[in-house]
Amino acid sequence: MDRFALEILNAMVGNPAGSAGLEWALGGGTVRFDSACAFAFGGATVRAIARGETVEPFTTLHARPGDELQIESFTAGRFLYIGVSGGIEVPEVLESRSTYLPGRFGGLGGRMVSSGNSLALGSQPKTYPRHGFTAPYRVLPQYANHVVQVTRGSHADLFDAERWRAFTEASFAVAVASDRTGYKLDGALLSHSYGELPSEPGCEGAVQVPADGNPIVLMADAPTVGGYPKIAVVSEADLSIVAQLTPGQHLRFRLTTVEESQRRLRQRAKDLNAIRSAGAASA
Amino acid sequence: MGVLPRAEPMGDSAVIITFGVTRSAELLGKVHAAAAALSDSSVSGVYDIVPGYLSVAVFYDPFRLSYMEIAPVLTAICERASVSSKAAVTGRQHKIPVAYDGPDLVTVSSLTSLSTEDVIERHISRVYTVDIIGFVPGFAYLSELDPSLRLPRRTQPRPRVPAGSVAIAGAQTGVYPLDTPGGWHILGHTTTVMFDPAREPPAILRAGDTVQFVRVD
Repeated sequence: MDRFALEILNAMVGNPAGSAGLEWALGGGTVRFDSACAFAFGGATVRAIARGETVEPFTTLHARPGDELQIESFTAGRFLYIGVSGGIEVPEVLESRSTYLPGRFGGLGGRMVSSGNSLALGSQPKTYPRHGFTAPYRVLPQYANHVVQVTRGSHADLFDAERWRAFTEASFAVAVASDRTGYKLDGALLSHSYGELPSEPGCEGAVQVPADGNPIVLMADAPTVGGYPKIAVVSEADLSIVAQLTPGQHLRFRLTTVEESQRRLRQRAKDLNAIRSAGAASA
Repeated sequence: MGVLPRAEPMGDSAVIITFGVTRSAELLGKVHAAAAALSDSSVSGVYDIVPGYLSVAVFYDPFRLSYMEIAPVLTAICERASVSSKAAVTGRQHKIPVAYDGPDLVTVSSLTSLSTEDVIERHISRVYTVDIIGFVPGFAYLSELDPSLRLPRRTQPRPRVPAGSVAIAGAQTGVYPLDTPGGWHILGHTTTVMFDPAREPPAILRAGDTVQFVRVD
């Protein structure tokens, strides 16, 4: 869901992009490292303890065989990620190592990891950053900023000036009925009389508006087509922020251009490269 | 609507090219022809092509190409495809065995005032075309259902419809490739595996293909 957090963590443990990590939702737990490796965690805000000390997010940590990372309860956010050097060893399915639960494929045989499972690591990178290496704060997702940028969607013209004003000025609350397919929002009524349109392509981040007027932001397991009008699309650089919102939290939308949105995405790629270079220099 | 086909950005990594405003078989033919032409052109940086009823979405790598660079290239391909109608897709033909033992067969029979035999007969009598693929991986929207079988979706969708369920709703029929929630009326089931990520290609059906259901016990 928060792909950018995982990619930062991969960069911080010397992994190529697309390496598998752990996505961890809700409660606490403990990870034991059976072999020496580097790891880093980040995303949701948690209290984490390793070797008896509190450890910080987005920081490279070196584990000795038998070391444990203890995750206590989440204080903010929805998904915690743990990147481990070498990545979790799972096969590529459809050019991805991620898990698709509804189809029961990808990742660890298409299922969730459960308590007591032993996970193999891939071959260790030649080097990884030193213990305690931290990513510069400015490149991390700004989770406290709940204003997300959007570009115009394929049905933007179906919404009149009044609805657009409501969409860009109002504050929306994330509803309880939100999952990996989409986050439902409550707030300004963007209700319209278009009902369902012929099924049309959509994408992750698309903001679609059913007839009741409460928008849905499509997330990682979004369908490829859908029949609701799409007013806007969340900038990819801000999908991390949306993914980490918990029910009841608010967000606002600000309109931008695709040129600006793509510029931010390219800047993020540069930031990831900078983490890799700084990490390599610290190794 | 302006000049058609018309390209617009769909987020940071896709272009959506629209061919018209009203759904029709002719328009869908244009969309399929454009999708085939885009696929044949193998534009560098393009990684996915998704047809809908009115438009086709082309997903590309925004680290290699900007929207301003790729949009005119894709539009030009679509314009050429829409004029040369003979470049349209030549769909493959499929036969899918179905056991008509679905939980909604009797309900459909009473809602349509047809006997269950007539419902089955009318479902197998037609050759369906794959309009589009979507909803979940490998789900094909098949058209067009016999007018006497057209019903709105169930008012209460089922939380779990088993993979292989053959169902109808509106003017369409389809086969659920995965266990998913679903609101269509289930007439029967097939043992054909509609989507298998280990297969190449994973989905049996492709937009433009034709399907005939064959009754089995």
